[in-house]
Parts: sequence; C-alpha cells; structure tokens
Amino acid sequence: MLKRRYKLVQKIPKTPKSAYNHGRFISSLIEHQIKHFHEVEKSLARPGEQLTEISKIKTELDASKYLKKMTARLHPQGAEKPTKIAKPKKARGEAKRKSKTNEKQSKRKRK
Amino acid sequence: MTGGLAKLQHIVVLMMENRSFDHMLGGLSLIVQNGVKKYPKINGLTGTEWNPDVNGTKVTVQPNAKFQGQLDHDPDHHFPGVDLQIFGTTDQGSGRVANMQGFIKSYATQKTSIEESHGIMAYFPPKQLPVLTRLATEYALFNGWFSSIPGPTICNRAFAHYGTSFGNVDMNVFYVQDPIVSMYERMIQGGHTAKIYYYDQQSSTMEIVNLLKNQPQIFGSYSQFKADCEGNTLPDYCFIEPCYSDHPGPGGGQILASDQHPDHHVQEGERFIANTYNAIRTNQKLWETTAMLIVYDEHGGIYDHVAPPNCDPNFPDGHSAPGDKTGTGVAFNFDRLGVRVPAILISPYIPRGTVIPGTEDPNGIIFEHACIPGTVTNFFLKNYDNRTAREKHSNNFLTPLTDALRSDDDCWVFDL
Repeated sequence: MLKRRYKLVQKIPKTPKSAYNHGRFISSLIEHQIKHFHEVEKSLARPGEQLTEISKIKTELDASKYLKKMTARLHPQGAEKPTKIAKPKKARGEAKRKSKTNEKQSKRKRK
Repeated sequence: MTGGLAKLQHIVVLMMENRSFDHMLGGLSLIVQNGVKKYPKINGLTGTEWNPDVNGTKVTVQPNAKFQGQLDHDPDHHFPGVDLQIFGTTDQGSGRVANMQGFIKSYATQKTSIEESHGIMAYFPPKQLPVLTRLATEYALFNGWFSSIPGPTICNRAFAHYGTSFGNVDMNVFYVQDPIVSMYERMIQGGHTAKIYYYDQQSSTMEIVNLLKNQPQIFGSYSQFKADCEGNTLPDYCFIEPCYSDHPGPGGGQILASDQHPDHHVQEGERFIANTYNAIRTNQKLWETTAMLIVYDEHGGIYDHVAPPNCDPNFPDGHSAPGDKTGTGVAFNFDRLGVRVPAILISPYIPRGTVIPGTEDPNGIIFEHACIPGTVTNFFLKNYDNRTAREKHSNNFLTPLTDALRSDDDCWVFDL
C-alpha cells in the first residue's frame, strides 16, 4: 500500500498461491548452504553434543527449519525483530476523527 | 564528479539467482514501434539465435519462458556444465571457440526429454516481467555484465563480497586468505557502515562461515532493511539476499522463495525486486542519495547469445583452480568470465533509457561481480590496497549517474 499519491504507478500482479510448495526437494544451492551451516554447527558443538543428520534434510521445509535453528544460534537478534520506527504523533483531533470514521466503517460492515 | 555522485550516500546491491540476460531481458530488442526497434541500443535477441539439440535439430529461441515448471530439473551450472554450454563441446583442445552452442546439449544430460531440453532456449516476453522491464528501460541497463566465473553460485557470490573466490570454482566452503577481507569488514574498518540483509532466519544467508562470525554488526534481516529505509538508518553499503525457499511464515502464513532460482516462481522475484525498489523510492531523502544495483549471480545454465570475454591479463585475479577442481581435467586461471547476466543500476540521476554498451561495441565496457567491491571500495574508501589487481582495476558501475535529478513525477512506483 502506497502512503501517498504518485504520478507514475505500475500495478504488479500477485503470485498465484499455487506457486507455494514447501515439499519441493532442495536444490543444489540449498544443499550446499546446509553443508556450510553444518560446518558452523560442528564448530559450535559442545563436547558430546549430537549434530544434526543433514542427510535427512530433503525438502525446503526441512531446510528452513534447520537454517532457522542455526541462524538463530548465530544471529539471535536477526529476523523477526526489526528496529521499531517511531510513528509521527497524530494531533488529538485527528486521532479522534479517525477513530470515529473507523467506528462508522465497522458499523457499516456489520450491517 | 557529477552532481549525482556528489549526492550519493548509499549503495544497495540486490543479487538475484540463476537467470541469463537473454532469458529475462533479451526480448526487449524485439519490440518494434512504428516500424523501428524501440530499444536499439540493447544487445538482446534477434529471434534467430539457436542451439542444436541432441539430434542435431536447430532449436531457435522462443518467447515461451514460464514462471514455474519449465526448468524443474535445475539446469546444470557447475563448471564443466557451463564449459559445455559456452564451447558446445566437452573437448578441451586449444582450438575451441566460445560459440554458445552447448546449452541444449548440456540440459539434455540431465535426463530431460528432447522437448524439455528445448526449454533452456526460452525467454520471457517483456510484458511478462513488468518490474524488470520497467527498471531496465527507465534507468541504466548494462549490456555487458557477466558472472565472474563460468560456474555456480557460491564462487560467483564470493566475487561480489571479496573481489575474488580465492581460487574456487565450485560450491564448497572457501577460506578467506590474508590480506583480503570482505567488503563489509573493509567498510567498517574504514569508519563506514555496511550490512548484508538476508530475508529471514529460515532462508538465511549464503555468506555463512566467513561472515556470520562478524554478527550482529554485519547482518540484518529484510524486515530490518525496510525499517532502515523508512527510518533513514540505511548503511552506506548494503547487500540484499532474496528468500531462497518456500516456507511457513509467521502466524501461519506462507512465504514464497523470491530468488528466481529455478524452479521458484519468477513473479515472486519480480515482486521482491519491486518491494526493494519501493522501499528506497518512496523515501525522497533516501531516493536522492542512493544508487541501487540489481544483478544476478550467474545464468543458471540458461541460454545467452553473447560469448563471455577474456579478463584483462594485465590485472589478474592471481589464483588458479587445478584440473581436478574444475571437473574438466584442465586448470582454470580465472582468465575469462562466465555467462552474461541481467544488471540494472537505478538512481534518479540516471536518464531514462540509459544503456551501457558491452562486447557488441568496440568502446563497450565489461562488468563482472568484482566491479561491486571495486566500485564500492573506490567510492567510499578511495585508495585501498588489500585486494586483487582484478578488483582494483575493475570498471566503475556508477558512471551512469549524471548531474540532472529526475523529478518525483518522472520516476515510477510499483503498486504491490
């Protein structure tokens, strides 16, 4: 959603939902990414700690679970925690007007 | 220094996956308006380029590339496969010529049917790729940007981060050799800011062993990138990685791979490019002070008609990969480039329809991924010695920035 009007705007089509397939077998690229992370896992392992059997990682879903686990170990402050941006404060009147408009809209929806 | 360069504060590089120039943008040369070519400077397709299939039948390029399902056997892009694609033969004799005739032959070795093997010659009609087409024709398109190595992802991406792959032509973990350090370390040591933004933890980064050691200073997620754009906290230099896999998202959602690596849906990559462009474009302050490069790591085994040129022997990479590492039995001295890839530079200081000539022009300029650290280092750090001669003397990709700032009304925004 664009926050203001622009003169030259091009609408971009959505990707069909049917494109999603987390059961797809991993490509050579992801296979090697996992191998690299396995090296990291080995270097971080405590004595006696069991390593992940990466040969069992077959699908993109399996890969994403492993990569999330390993990345979180290395970079806990990474994904899913973006810096919060301070939103500009609304003038009191404007905020009230907005909430009234929202109320009206939700009443209309309920009808 | 032009006005655009004087104003420049941020360089953003978005590296996509595994598509050739002709596959994505070659169709632009075939657009005719009022009886003349609309984009005569673009070195795309004529429509007559062909490769022999395994039966010797001539197969011409066709505008029938599909978003998904056409290349579900991931086309070979390891060193020996690309060697066959470029030279049309597995013979390593000295008289061979880079004729770009082995793409179907190579794909046919992957248990594809005859018909499937022809899919490697497919290209997208420009209307099917509205984002890439818009950006390529609105800003600067490089006719001669090549992958650094005729090989796969990891070694090619290494050139973007280090200016060299330290002698590697494959996907294995490589080890950084002194005195070369990554772009990000150089920038930080020089008092600048730099980051790699990976999509999320499930997709993570391709720059693993060497760079995650430097976390958290060097790494951020894509949501962090968007927040940094909005909050005017974008680093001086950043490198963005798309999402490499389909996986569940927060709250039960579905996240689609956006890297365009076959067989991931190409439209989702288009949306990711548009999203990244919008994040910069819709912040006027950032827009006027940022140059964004969209480039693909390598061609992914897909057809392109331009023979990769040799590297300048005066400024060598300084490494060699022995024959047992290349997989062809013959050593590779990093003296020629890989297959051509799409590359677009975006800035409001770039005139609409800029095309940087490549090998088709005697005065053309050759670019490859070592130009990324080469240009960024020269721009921010000026004289910096600890790098290869190849990187140090690589061509500057910021030259399309002029004095004239295009108005807000003259630059497109994507509605996603």
